[in-house]
This record gives sequence, C-alpha cells and structure tokens, in this order.
Amino acid sequence: MSPGAPSRDTVTRTVEPFQVSLERFSGPLDLLLHLIRSQDIDIFDIPISRITGQFVGALEEGLEAMPIERAGEFLEMAAHLVRIKAQLLLPRPEQPDWEEDPRAELVRRLLEFEHFQDVVHVLEGAEAQRGRHFAKGYVGSRPAPALAPVELELTLADFLSAAARIPEPAPPLEIRPPSQTVTVDEKVSLLRRLLGKAKRVSFDRLFRPWGTRAHAVASLLAALELARQQVLRIEQARPFASIWLLAGEREPTAVAPDTTETAEGTG
Amino acid sequence: MNVEQIVEATLFASQTPLAADEIARADENLVAEIVVEAIQALRDAYEKSERAFQIYQLGDGYQILTRPEYAPYLERFDSVPRAPHLSPAALETLAIIAYRNPIGRIEIEEVRGVSASSVLRTLLDWELVDVVGRGEGLGRPLLYGVTRKFLEHFGLKDLSDLPASDELPVVLGELQQAMEAESEVPDEVEPAPQGETEGETS
Repeated sequence: MSPGAPSRDTVTRTVEPFQVSLERFSGPLDLLLHLIRSQDIDIFDIPISRITGQFVGALEEGLEAMPIERAGEFLEMAAHLVRIKAQLLLPRPEQPDWEEDPRAELVRRLLEFEHFQDVVHVLEGAEAQRGRHFAKGYVGSRPAPALAPVELELTLADFLSAAARIPEPAPPLEIRPPSQTVTVDEKVSLLRRLLGKAKRVSFDRLFRPWGTRAHAVASLLAALELARQQVLRIEQARPFASIWLLAGEREPTAVAPDTTETAEGTG
Repeated sequence: MNVEQIVEATLFASQTPLAADEIARADENLVAEIVVEAIQALRDAYEKSERAFQIYQLGDGYQILTRPEYAPYLERFDSVPRAPHLSPAALETLAIIAYRNPIGRIEIEEVRGVSASSVLRTLLDWELVDVVGRGEGLGRPLLYGVTRKFLEHFGLKDLSDLPASDELPVVLGELQQAMEAESEVPDEVEPAPQGETEGETS
C-alpha cells in the first residue's frame, strides 16, 4: 500500500539509533522503558508519536522469531500506544488535569515496572551476597584417591620363574578321517546273508558291532534299497522302537556272489 | 549444662537453617529465648576470635555459614551443585510478590505486562512462593506469597530486610493515587478494572 510505505520509512529512520534485540527485554514494558530512559525522555511527558514509532520499529526486527504468546504481548502494547496517540489528537481542555491525560495510565505502569526493576536489582544483589556464604556439606565428600602409578618391582628371576610355570602347550587335537570306508553294497550283502539265515533281522544288528555313523547310514540305505526291491519289509511298532527287517516275497539270496564275499571280508 | 555449647553443637551438625525453637529441642531446659541469647553470645565469640564462619539468620532459622571473604577459596571446590541463579523473569515476579504479598496472578501480569503463569509454576516448584490464600474477586483467584525458602535463598531474615518501597530510586507517589481514584474497588487484592477486562478478552 502506497500510503503505508513512506510512514514506515520514517519509522525505520527514527529507530535506527536504537537497534535493540527484543530477546533482551522481559516484555513490552521493559522495551518501552528502555526507549524512554536511553533517550533521557521525561517520563511525565512522553512523546508518544516518536516512542510509538521506535517501539513498532523494534518489533519489526524481532517479532517473527518470537513465540506467538510473547509476540502478542508486544503487539498489545503497540496497539495501546497507537490508541493513546489517537486520543492525544482529540481536542482537550486548555489546562488538562493529569488524570485526563491519556498517557497517565501508561506512565503509572512504567513507573511501577521500573520500581520493581529496582527491587530486582536488590534481589540480585542479595542472591549474589548469599552465594558467597557456604553451608556445611558444600565441600563434597572426599573423592576416592587417584591410583598412583606403581613402580615395576619385577626382577628377571621373577619373570623367568613365572615363565617356567606356564604349562607346555597341549598337543593339537588329532582328528582322524575314518580309516575304513563302508559301502551300501557291503550292507546289502550282509543283509541278504542274514535274511537267508533268519526270517527277521534287527536293524541294529547291521551296524551296532561297528558303532560308527557311517555304518548306520550305509545300513539304512541298504535296508531302504532292499525294501524298494521288495526283498524285505521294514517294521517299527511305534516311533523310536526297534526297527525290524523281515524277509519279503522275493528270494533274498538272489545276489551276485562276489558282492557277498566283499561284505563278509569287511565284517 | 552449657547452653552455648549445646546450641553450637546443634548448629554445627545441621546442614539447613534451624529455628530457635527447633534448636531448643536439644534439651528439656532449653527455650527459644535462651537459644537466641546463646546464639548472640556465640556470634560475638566468633567475631572476636575471627572465625571463618558465623551464625547467620535466614528466615526464622539460624545456620552456620562461611564468611563471604572465604568464598574465593571455597569456590574452587565446585563438587556440589549450587542453587542456580534465577532468571530475570523469575526475579521480576519474585520482586512483585515479595512487595505485594499476597498477590494474584493477574495483578502480577498487570505489573509485568507479560504472562506470569509459567514463571509462577517454576517458582512454586522451587518452593520460593506458595499459595497463601484466595482473593475476593471473580473466581476467588489464588494469592501468592514468598516462602521461608525465598528468605533462605536471598539470605534475608524477613521481608523487612528488603528496602522499603519509598527507599528505592523509583518512588510511586502521587501518580498512583491519581490512578487509584479511578479504581472503584479499594481492595488491594482486586486487579484494576481495566486490567481485568484486558486479561479476559485476550
């Protein structure tokens, strides 16, 4: 708006010598009082127009960075100043009573505020003074003594005797590969031979004498292979019970003789 | 029985101020008046023998504290956290409450020109102020006053240790009377009518 622009310029110009950071001030009264006192203005005859300009100018700088509630407090004062300014323009009696001066209430508040600023200084002084007296317990409990660096008290003999106490390193654990291999065919031969003698064979019987996992695996595969060929049936009464291998319909002896010999050789 | 020694032992062993009647609990034959006399005798003795400490009165309590000239030495032992300095807003609010005891929140805000609710909450938390009653006005507003802890924090015996209002550089004189004429409610507790309206609309 064109009418607003020139007036803002005047405001900026007049406020320039009083660049103030709003954060410094506890509130609008503090700022107002600063503007008045820093310019040696007679508080009983405040040039409202000039002060309002400076006040608004200061707000333009820092209002946006303020929390909204605090900004509102400054704006309320700005509005109040503008209202007083307007009231001063109204015609007044020749010899106005002080009470009828629109500025009177503001001046009263400013003086009251300034009065309490004096009290604040008194309290600050009292607080600082009190801070110079210390009560029992101020000097804290004795801290744990810092560990002094210990001199090394070790002779070569100590070192050697300590070294002698270190046991010999244990021999590395030997892990031998299985020395014997076992084939499924060997187990098949064994199974056929056993079934030739008896109607039924305990599954355990096929590997228990050797006791190794390889024999168990080979035995299982042999049993499954013969079961597939319907040479035998596998029965187990319940989970984890003994497994029985029973001779089936096909003749268990129908086997290559050389394989049987190999199996017997292993056993 | 040596009264002075008993009082001295009690004060010495305490980390907080003790009132005379509290000290008197040390012995059946003690009463507050005798304790106060003993404290005065001890004070004189400490003064004469140039002790580094003295018995100070904080609120209604007495406490042995070091003399201020030894602060620079003790400040090197900063192992114990000290009471934080109060913020300007807190000091401003305390100043108003101390001089207008008891006073409601709206009146405090009238003087400061800013909201006082959060700073009041802080001061209540720190037990520097307390609710001391209710005002006569609308909604019977809470009235606040300063506490014993306030006196201890600022090292004051009582509020009369603070300079009287008319001893301060800014004296509220005839102006206030002029404004009071406009106020219809004479009760000090009541906020000025204009301030009340502003507070409610905002």
